[in-house]
Amino acid sequence: MAPPEITFLEALRQGLWEEMERDESVFILGEDVGLYGGAFKVTDGFAKRFGEARVIDTPISEAAIVGAAAGAAHMGMRPVAEMQFIDFISCAYDMLTNYVATARYRAGLSTPIVVRGPCGGYVRGGPFHSQNPEAAFFHTPGLKIVYPSTARDAKGLIKSSIRDPDPVLYLEHKWLYRRIKEQLPEGEEVLTPIGEARLAREGKDLSIVTYGATVWKSLEAAQLLEKEDQLSVEVLDLRTLLPLDDAAIMRSVQKTNKVLIVHEDTRTGGLAGEITARINEQAFEFLDGPIMRVTAHDVPLPYAPTLEDFVLPQTEDIVKAARWLANY
Amino acid sequence: MNAVPATRPTPAIGTAPATAAGLSRDQALDIYYYLRLTRTLEERLVALYRQTKVIGGLYRSLGQEGESVATAYALERGRNKDILSPLIRNLGSLLVMGAKPVEILRQYMAKANSPTRGREQNVHFNDLEKGYLGQISHLGDMIPVMAGIALTFKLRREPRVGLVYIGDGGTSTGSFHEGLNFAAVQRLPMIIIGEYNHWAYSTPPEKQFAVKDLAEKAKGYGIPAVTVDGNDVFAVYEATKFAAERARRGKGVHFIEVKTYRRKGHAEHDDQHYVPAGEIDRWAAENDPVDRYVARLQEQGMAAPDDLTDIDDRIRVEVDQATDACVDEPLPEGESALPDVYVDPPAADKLWFRTL
Amino acid sequence: MARVDVLMPQMGESIAEGTLSKWLKKVGDAVKRDEPLFEISTDKVDAEIPAPAAGVLAEIKVQEGQTVPVQTLVAVLETEKAAAGRPDGPTAVQATPAAPTPAARPSDRPADVRPSGRPADGGGVATAEQRLRTKSTPLVRKIAAEHQVDISRIPGSGFAGRVTKQDILGYIERAPADAPAHRAPPTAHPGGAIEHPAVEPWPGDRVEPWSKIRKITADHMIQSRRTSAHVASFFEVDYTRVAQLRAKAKEKVTFLAFIAKACAENLRKHPVVNAAVSGDRTIYRADINIGIAVALDWGLIVPVIKHADELSLTGIARAIADLGERARTKKLSPDDIQRGTFTITNPGGFGPYAGIPIINQPQVAILGVGAIEKRPKVVTLPDGSDTIAVRTMGMLTMSYDHRVVDGADADKFLADVKTMLQEFPEGAA
Repeated sequence: MAPPEITFLEALRQGLWEEMERDESVFILGEDVGLYGGAFKVTDGFAKRFGEARVIDTPISEAAIVGAAAGAAHMGMRPVAEMQFIDFISCAYDMLTNYVATARYRAGLSTPIVVRGPCGGYVRGGPFHSQNPEAAFFHTPGLKIVYPSTARDAKGLIKSSIRDPDPVLYLEHKWLYRRIKEQLPEGEEVLTPIGEARLAREGKDLSIVTYGATVWKSLEAAQLLEKEDQLSVEVLDLRTLLPLDDAAIMRSVQKTNKVLIVHEDTRTGGLAGEITARINEQAFEFLDGPIMRVTAHDVPLPYAPTLEDFVLPQTEDIVKAARWLANY
Repeated sequence: MNAVPATRPTPAIGTAPATAAGLSRDQALDIYYYLRLTRTLEERLVALYRQTKVIGGLYRSLGQEGESVATAYALERGRNKDILSPLIRNLGSLLVMGAKPVEILRQYMAKANSPTRGREQNVHFNDLEKGYLGQISHLGDMIPVMAGIALTFKLRREPRVGLVYIGDGGTSTGSFHEGLNFAAVQRLPMIIIGEYNHWAYSTPPEKQFAVKDLAEKAKGYGIPAVTVDGNDVFAVYEATKFAAERARRGKGVHFIEVKTYRRKGHAEHDDQHYVPAGEIDRWAAENDPVDRYVARLQEQGMAAPDDLTDIDDRIRVEVDQATDACVDEPLPEGESALPDVYVDPPAADKLWFRTL
Repeated sequence: MARVDVLMPQMGESIAEGTLSKWLKKVGDAVKRDEPLFEISTDKVDAEIPAPAAGVLAEIKVQEGQTVPVQTLVAVLETEKAAAGRPDGPTAVQATPAAPTPAARPSDRPADVRPSGRPADGGGVATAEQRLRTKSTPLVRKIAAEHQVDISRIPGSGFAGRVTKQDILGYIERAPADAPAHRAPPTAHPGGAIEHPAVEPWPGDRVEPWSKIRKITADHMIQSRRTSAHVASFFEVDYTRVAQLRAKAKEKVTFLAFIAKACAENLRKHPVVNAAVSGDRTIYRADINIGIAVALDWGLIVPVIKHADELSLTGIARAIADLGERARTKKLSPDDIQRGTFTITNPGGFGPYAGIPIINQPQVAILGVGAIEKRPKVVTLPDGSDTIAVRTMGMLTMSYDHRVVDGADADKFLADVKTMLQEFPEGAA
């Protein structure tokens, strides 16, 4: 019998659960993660199974959550810190960038923490419940950043992040939580390697390099373009943002010669800029058109649906941009 | 297991003075108007939320209206007087300071005509002339900001006061502590209302801090602090009045802890399964701020039942009219998202793919 | 006020029509004299067409994407004053685009009428470099370099007439039909255009301008000499066994087929001979595709036997016959002359003892076949004594590019080829 379909959120939950079962040094800390089971119910039932000592409800103190995780990690623990919404990670920015990220390089300290939390828009969350904070941390050597888009990778990456010897920022898009469903094999250890992109769709005319929720919007666009324009669009899901999988990006560029980078984060200083530069450095001669970006507009994310829809990249934008680039 | 005790005792209701807290009859009825308006308006918002007119989350202040209204009412109001910064559950404070129900409705429904033109939600909006400055979701951030407002009053020698609310959970943030200490050192004309409402989302006080009263935290920074029954409108009014006058005289910061109770979930989607059985019902039955206020007014002969039903009727009409006025208004045009990131340039770039 | 007509220019003598790829101005826009008005794309070049006079763009007669005959009215400018001072008025416009070579410029062209280009940059003819930068992409330029294609010859279907990957790949595919340039070994011009020094003809001499194929062959030969470090090795081969096998064969198999088969069999063992040079890298070709030079009345062409190592001797023989026949009847397909990795030229039929061929760029080796004939040869008999015997003999010469192929590499390869020819296995025939 085929295993049941599970949601992105359930896959993440399973991954956390399995790691808690596997390794006693793994523990969770965050706001409302215990009895309540987390604002999005990612840790539902964990306190009951593993006890409140390993599923710690904390005060509203992100700097303390991350800092305490770091200290515990130095001592051999494997803490998983939850930000109730990733928007609040800014409160721990100092701790993450100054302390956690530099600890190994500066002082030879092992800090294998995972900081995870719901990110992203398309949910009418307004300016403080919709953010994509990757760019701020992407610029911080010493942190790793993963950003799954499938249920399998939600599970595979949380497990790999917990086992990784370095601090990992695990970004989970709340728009995917219950929208994405997948059958995961029962009894199989799902581990997604950190640093490897995933070819979400093969194509030959144009590559879309993306991650997070826009993977799905890009796939939708690719289907449409195939149907209406007979265009064969490749979609590369980065999965890990730091370190970037340069090889996978270049492979795709060398194959299709045209690249559209799509991300939900705002344009200026976003990851697309860095990816563009790397393609330019490593595969310039394979380009048959300019590297183009489809991103959010450079404004804080507004609340009204009409405004949010305008600001964020939509499937239709990807279709139009890809079409333009294909005709270049 | 959650160790939250069942119904926690509230301070005893003292013997009322002849004119309670120095309030006139008109003022007392005015306060009742705001209490009832807050509650009625929120009930309308719940209806609109369920009709999918209210987008995003909805956060109720049921059970906390007393301290919101009383603290704001104790300030000097009008053009360029005192300024307060309301939290999500201080709808009553906003109304007292002069925000209109229609503005609140538009904010929640993200209308083009809303004070933030659809960019922000709920009570996150400002009118510095009327005297309110919306908070952001990052708790504690407004403590230092309000310190800056109060610092300006001090520098300009204006007899004005800044008031800022913080929840029991919010007192765990770094910004709260930095702001409190800053204000204390600068002896700023500022009042901090610490709202002990027993729940920070699902987290009870004993998981949030190890002191008994929030007032102890303020005392640690050398700030005078009192703890009052937050559901006693008169007591909260008096305490705030005292703190405001003191601040106006240049005596510095004051911290008022109001013990109250959040009877609804963190937001409408929160089922409150973490709350001990019966606790909410007991607070509703025994310690509702509006019921207590009405009882006091009637005890003291400050209001006849008819006075109050007249006000209730007036409010119903007012809220209906406000709803009718805006419910069918349009949402903002998408492109109106671009202006105002800066003064100059006046608008963000419309990205290339939108011109294809 | 005066009206000035702007016409579709004739960019080169053979050009009959042009496509308006992009308008740079809208109706109502003020334009300065020489300011680019629109871009065109023709079979030869792409260019920005500058306004012939200062004024306002009054009418647009040809829309973007439309292809019209040269001299068609494209737009009308309204100018402040009559076009006085221009001896030939609007007709000056017709002279606007210069023919691609400076020598072709009419000497009486008014000095103030510029050819296409950017006045803002100081004016002047848009250089090939500028055209490349505006009308192609890095990939297209790279493909163009690899295939020695002049991008400006390719009509672009992309944005603003840009040459896309599909355009250039399609062009290369169609090359023999559309572009005579590709019937001969392609030209490469890394060091700029090949200049063939002028020579004064004497009275009574007949001067015949080169055909395209002659020009391209000439350029390519010079370019190859400039590019590769040519070295040659000579091997004498005893074809007696091959001659015996030929006599026994049911089907006619040429010596050339045996030689090609021997090369195909041994190139895999000597990959550096089956290679190309690209910048400071060596490309070791995965395929073994042997080009066979065919002399035709109108020039030289090199059809290619694809995957020669996968063919039997008979298969190779048939391929050679087929390609030769189609070359003579001009029925080669574009694919037939592409992607060679090694070349054999066989002038032996004309009788030379040996010759030194020039490498077919960007390959690194070419084998020349000398005349095969019976010659006296010292042979050692089984009893150890030497004697002179009549053997079927011939020379093999290989020119190779010493940048990547050392003498030892070349000679080991040739020795293997020789051995195979002398001991040609029965099964391989």
